[in-house]
Amino acid sequence: MNAWLRLSRSWRAYSSLATRSMQNTLAYRLSYVVNFASSFVLLIAMYALWNAIYAGREELAGMSWAQMKTYLIISFISNSLLSYYSETRISGKILDGSVSADLLKPLDFQKARLAETLGSTVIEGGLTVIITATVLAAASGIFKPDFIHSLLFILSVLASLLVKFGIVYIAGLLCFWSTGSLGIVWARMAVTSLFSGALVPLSFFPSWLEKLSLVLPFQGIVHTPASIYLEEVNVWGALGLLALQCAWVCVLWLCGKLMWSWAVRQITIHGG
Amino acid sequence: MSFIEIRQLTKQFRQAVKEPGLAGAVKHLFSQKYVDKTAVAGINLDIEEGETVAYVGPNGAGKSTTIKMLTGILVPSSGTISVGGIDPYRNRMENARTIGAVFGQRTQLWWDIPISETFSLLKDIYEIPEPLYKRNLEQFIELLGMKDFLHLTARRLSLGQRMRADLAAALLHNPRTVYLDEPTIGLDIAVKQRIREFIRASNQERGTTVMLTTHDLGDIEDLCSRLVIIDQGSLIYDGTLAAVKDRFARERVIHFQLEKADLPALREALDRMPKVTAEKLERQHVSLRFDRFHITASEVASAVMRCGEVIDFRIDEPGIEHVIKQVYEGRISLDEQHADKQTAAGTEANRR
Amino acid sequence: MSILRSTRRTLFLYRRLFSTQLKAILEYQTDFFIMIISAVLTQLLGIVFLWVVYNRIPDINGWTFWEVVFMYAMIYLTEGFGALFFEGTWRLGGLVNRGELDVMLLRPVSPILQVLANGIGMNGIGNIVIGFIMIGQALTKVDLHWSFGKLVIAILLIITAVAIRVSINLAANTSAFWIKNAGNAFPIMIHNLGEFAKYPITIFSMGIQLLVAVLVPFAFVSFFPAYYLFDKSTSPWIWLAPPVAAIYCGAVAYLLFRIGLRKYESAGN
Repeated sequence: MNAWLRLSRSWRAYSSLATRSMQNTLAYRLSYVVNFASSFVLLIAMYALWNAIYAGREELAGMSWAQMKTYLIISFISNSLLSYYSETRISGKILDGSVSADLLKPLDFQKARLAETLGSTVIEGGLTVIITATVLAAASGIFKPDFIHSLLFILSVLASLLVKFGIVYIAGLLCFWSTGSLGIVWARMAVTSLFSGALVPLSFFPSWLEKLSLVLPFQGIVHTPASIYLEEVNVWGALGLLALQCAWVCVLWLCGKLMWSWAVRQITIHGG
Repeated sequence: MSFIEIRQLTKQFRQAVKEPGLAGAVKHLFSQKYVDKTAVAGINLDIEEGETVAYVGPNGAGKSTTIKMLTGILVPSSGTISVGGIDPYRNRMENARTIGAVFGQRTQLWWDIPISETFSLLKDIYEIPEPLYKRNLEQFIELLGMKDFLHLTARRLSLGQRMRADLAAALLHNPRTVYLDEPTIGLDIAVKQRIREFIRASNQERGTTVMLTTHDLGDIEDLCSRLVIIDQGSLIYDGTLAAVKDRFARERVIHFQLEKADLPALREALDRMPKVTAEKLERQHVSLRFDRFHITASEVASAVMRCGEVIDFRIDEPGIEHVIKQVYEGRISLDEQHADKQTAAGTEANRR
Repeated sequence: MSILRSTRRTLFLYRRLFSTQLKAILEYQTDFFIMIISAVLTQLLGIVFLWVVYNRIPDINGWTFWEVVFMYAMIYLTEGFGALFFEGTWRLGGLVNRGELDVMLLRPVSPILQVLANGIGMNGIGNIVIGFIMIGQALTKVDLHWSFGKLVIAILLIITAVAIRVSINLAANTSAFWIKNAGNAFPIMIHNLGEFAKYPITIFSMGIQLLVAVLVPFAFVSFFPAYYLFDKSTSPWIWLAPPVAAIYCGAVAYLLFRIGLRKYESAGN
């Protein structure tokens, strides 16, 4: 009985965090629109660039232009589920010291950040997905997968969100050791961009680079959901990729937990 | 024309009205409602050079808004301001050379460099001649006791230290006018004393005009000769501190410590004394509140001494605090007519 | 005050304020190494992306690898200069929202100068170094006809490119006067438009070309200099375009700042 009570109470605590985060995101509506426009800009740039690259060519690295177009849009969706704003919120908390106030609260820092992130993702990501899904459905020349693959794709996107959270969280925690958050965030973005397949499908890489990318967790953000969507793998392959994503989610979560307790020890010994 | 001349100064703000909660946030996405709020409503004020003025009022009365307009960082909705012949908004930089300001919660110190570096930077910004800079700096370091933390960055200072440094920074270039917005907020009494002495010295030695907004009425008593009270955007009192105290801070409380008081006799005596209320009436402790315009302290003391042996006593003089509190609560009005009537009644009582 | 004296005072004050920032940031040793490394990493990974693509195709719209690298490098180089010397533009939002701009307005120094000199981004060093290396490489690897005049113009084009970048940064950050919240992403969005200028703008639709050449003239940072230097232009006077753009951008930024400041002064915070 007691355990249930505690569980429901803590669940309420986290969900109210999420709701508050949603409210905040709505309050910054202009900021959201601008954020969206900002990532949309990148999408357009990439689209035009690839259009020029594919000019007069049927296929490159095994992908046709139609597949490439689709890939870009999927990449865009997967990436914009966790915005820059959510990311800097985590590192921001550590940098401005409000983390010490959080230590006093009976909340798990990691779970709390996840709750907040999910809250703002509902708004930011939700709108993004609706808009781009409409575009996808309406536009021509876009690849549309079969039912099973669509389902698996949606699951994969959700998993990719958790993977991205795991990475962003760890990057945010790194701010404990350095005092320049923006540097770490940019470094993370650059590394993630390349290795997740957001910039260019992993199949374009020379084989040694491709192999390296497949070993890292970043591919779970774009490459995995995109591969499932484009039916580059059959159902069993897709399930395998999903399993890999989930494995990474767990590994990243645990790493985050470990880093957090290490960091807390540092704070309580050295005093913020 | 006075040094600082303010005519019909008005400032209005537009504020967005939003309902609380998630529903309210969504609604606000689609339609915004605004309401006009008047922070300062047509005030007139004249200040001569070298005066020390306390600018007092409850929170939200319009104090900070007035100061911001005086320093040129906020533009009035209507009305005129002239400081030493300069319009602080239109000629902001020219005005900036002649003023110093301390805003209680915000600092003008550079956060991550030693205080001494901040001072050096200010010397270049205000183009302070070297001999003057050296002289002022030495004097300030001494008066404000800053030697111990000169080498520390502003980030590492305690509130008291930071406030002292801010004050030094504000006066380093010998401004003609200094605006102090809550300069002693949150400080301990020792630091407050130092700061008040410093401001007083500056006013007396250099003739700096001081305009001080504060909730700390000790600041006012120590520093200011003139009191201006603003409430809900309008001035409700403008005059000397002494006049206010003479007219309104007339109550005294005497606390007696007695061997053994004859309480019935005392009560009888109290009934015969005009406008004396007993705050505490016990065999060994008696506290009596009286209006000194109606009865003198010696009369009250004699009455008590007749009813028992007095071991010890002390007189509480309620400071300006009491008056201000009553003004805020609307219990007394500080306009001239009413005050005259009260004084007349008081002198009548004294003659009796 | 005469123009000469006020220019000297401006430069003097800028130097003083800048060295203040430098002293402040030297307090935090770890900070700038990470920022420099991250800037280097970002730029290099971007070029890796280009290399991966160019591994499979010989050119994009007639532009070869090193030519596009040049444009990439110009974008990053100017970003580096902007970060190292004018990082203050990015802090305008914070100043406005925390009311710290008030303190600046109380001083007898131009607020624009104070804002520009308000920060240092050490990552700029990384971008500048790698940027110059890449530009150097590009200019040597591509077959060019060099002349003394061309060299002088090349230097001029780098200077105007920095001026354009800083002006656009400032103009974009003045949005803080209108968008009053901590998460203002408008300047970042404008900054991201520079993404388009990393590539020859001829690959984009007319709308985007107008956007990046007229509205937010990043094209004059990378594309037009490249156009001139790599002899792709039909007109020999094309090199005049970036300086004109620089003046235009500077004027717009200045105007926006003054208008925004007036709004700030009437609404308080």
